[in-house]
Amino acid sequence: MPDPSFVFAQSVSGLTAAMFLFLIASGLSLIFGVLRVLNFAHGTFYMLGAYSAYQFVQWIGVSGGMFWVAALGAAGVIALLGGVVERLLFRHLYGKEELYQLLFTYALVLILSDAARMIWGTQQKSVSRPPELTGAFSLFGATIPHYNLFILLLGPAIALSVWFVLQRTRVGRFIRAAALDRETLGALGVNVDALYTWVFVIASFLGGLGGALISPMRATTPGMDTEIIVEAFVVVVIGGLGSFWGTFLGALIYGQVLSFGILFFPRFSIFAVFALMAGVLIVRPWGLLGRPLK
Amino acid sequence: MHRRMLLILLAAALLAVPMAADAQKPIKVGMPMPLSGPPALFGDPAAKGAQMFVEEINAKGGVLGRKLELITRDSKGDANEAVRQARELILKDNVDFLVGTLTSAEGPAVSVVAKENKIVFIAPIPKTDQLTAPDKLHPYVFRISANTTMEGRSAAEIVAKWPVTKVATISFDYAYGQDVTKAFVEHLKKVKPSVEIVDQQWPKLGEQDYNPFINAQMAKKPEAIFSSIWGGFFVTYSKQAKALGMFDAVKYNFIGVGEAGSPETTKSMGKDYPVGIWGNSYDAFYWGETPAHKDYVARLSKYLKDEYPSSWAIQGYTGMQFLVEAIKKANSTDSDKVSKALLGLTIETPIGPQTIREKDHQANRGQLYGKTVLDPKYPFPIMKPVTYVDPTKFMD
Repeated sequence: MPDPSFVFAQSVSGLTAAMFLFLIASGLSLIFGVLRVLNFAHGTFYMLGAYSAYQFVQWIGVSGGMFWVAALGAAGVIALLGGVVERLLFRHLYGKEELYQLLFTYALVLILSDAARMIWGTQQKSVSRPPELTGAFSLFGATIPHYNLFILLLGPAIALSVWFVLQRTRVGRFIRAAALDRETLGALGVNVDALYTWVFVIASFLGGLGGALISPMRATTPGMDTEIIVEAFVVVVIGGLGSFWGTFLGALIYGQVLSFGILFFPRFSIFAVFALMAGVLIVRPWGLLGRPLK
Repeated sequence: MHRRMLLILLAAALLAVPMAADAQKPIKVGMPMPLSGPPALFGDPAAKGAQMFVEEINAKGGVLGRKLELITRDSKGDANEAVRQARELILKDNVDFLVGTLTSAEGPAVSVVAKENKIVFIAPIPKTDQLTAPDKLHPYVFRISANTTMEGRSAAEIVAKWPVTKVATISFDYAYGQDVTKAFVEHLKKVKPSVEIVDQQWPKLGEQDYNPFINAQMAKKPEAIFSSIWGGFFVTYSKQAKALGMFDAVKYNFIGVGEAGSPETTKSMGKDYPVGIWGNSYDAFYWGETPAHKDYVARLSKYLKDEYPSSWAIQGYTGMQFLVEAIKKANSTDSDKVSKALLGLTIETPIGPQTIREKDHQANRGQLYGKTVLDPKYPFPIMKPVTYVDPTKFMD
């Protein structure tokens, strides 16, 4: 029987990983849920978020609260980029065959990551943790860095606010309606085009924020976009594509399976995650909390 | 009669033109190297080091009176892509030699292409022992980088001197990680039998979240840790390990091979680097052991327009240097002759003399090792004192 403090430490690290995955996967899920496009480039927005955060930090540093300015600034830049991309490019994809959508978003991955390479080169970039959160504390014998605690609190906070916007506000109602029936909503006089842009902007913001906030914990390198997108896909497939709480649940499960997987099958923990995904696909192809597609 | 003579003369002249041009034709060297994705961190500077060598040699009039031409192709760090590029370089670009590849997947794959086409292939970076293992070795493949046996054993020599017995390892679960860890563990147990390996973690190649691995490892209470997590991945790993207090827990009895001590890595992390651990590197601009090295660093610094130039350029540079010296020795660009010339060849490189052994086509390439410290002269940690560990004693 493993040491209880170790089990606790493992579940906390699983939870932290889950919150990051949720930040990324929620945007992916939102875009699919409303716009019906599988946005492969979402991972690239996450990577660009991390690079932008690095760039802001180069300019303004991380101390005196500047890290937070940099993170929000980076997320803002990515949100803006998302808006532009939606207006100019994505617009033409709605209702097209999935193959076109995949090819297009994949092309976008290549273009944007090459652009990032031209701007920031191939060397790894690193962002320091904000000085106010560099410490760590001990709980039940496990060391928990303050920054990880912040992420643990931020995840549910973002989940609740997005949920609140979707369920309790007028815009949220429109967004949910657009997911169900775009034409009727348009016929009722709602500007669906603008609504789609906003959804894309919010999703890109979440992706960019995820990248910016992860930069103090990881190296920012080319290729981090395609790594994360695979994980995010696993999360949304487990949770149910387009389902908001499904994404949250999927991320939680992913984090814990990965964390504890290495206890039981030290060299196959990644296999455990994919086995879980395969299992879900067999039993409930629409995901744990998703709805079957008609 | 007259007309016929003229025709013959004309034909002879036409034939002679390409022959004369042939002497002026550059010697072409194909370089499949990752120039995109994470391995480009090293592939890109290595390719630039090779290019610098080529430009320098051409400025001095080339080799055997011919210019050298380097054709670089992005292998993307992928074995299939590297093979495709190598084939294309041979068939379409008609390269005379191959110098290149980076990952331990690419190297052995391109080696097969070199064997098929009977073209000399010099691998400047891949470390897997399998590249030059007896069953894979063929007359045309050579390696001028360290291999996993040499790197793992060098690290074991250092750790054996530490006052620790409980040692843990963490490495990526693929050829390089497995081979270097195995070499480290076996050699450490041999030189210090009291050592006990208390834990081994095997994250997948490119893992981004090391927290569960670090927790699991710390639960086994090791006194020292060996890591072969390389490049940008080491930045991610050590940031997370530092936050969890891992380096303090092992009192900085930590050695990171896979170039964890390279200036690139310490530079990108700055003060976030776990200062006090041991690392290694192929080169370090601050080493300055010999006038030749100092001169090389000065030239490289100018070429790359970087005050603290890359430690990976040396691999591309010495790869090309070995090739050129062998061409000179063979006085030919015929791969069969050049490959014979490479056997047992010793050359004077910026990091000192290097020899390719006859028996396994492996150069005695050691690496720089040292404990990392903060030096007020630089805005990032350096290895100090930095020592070149010569692997000649324990290559077999």
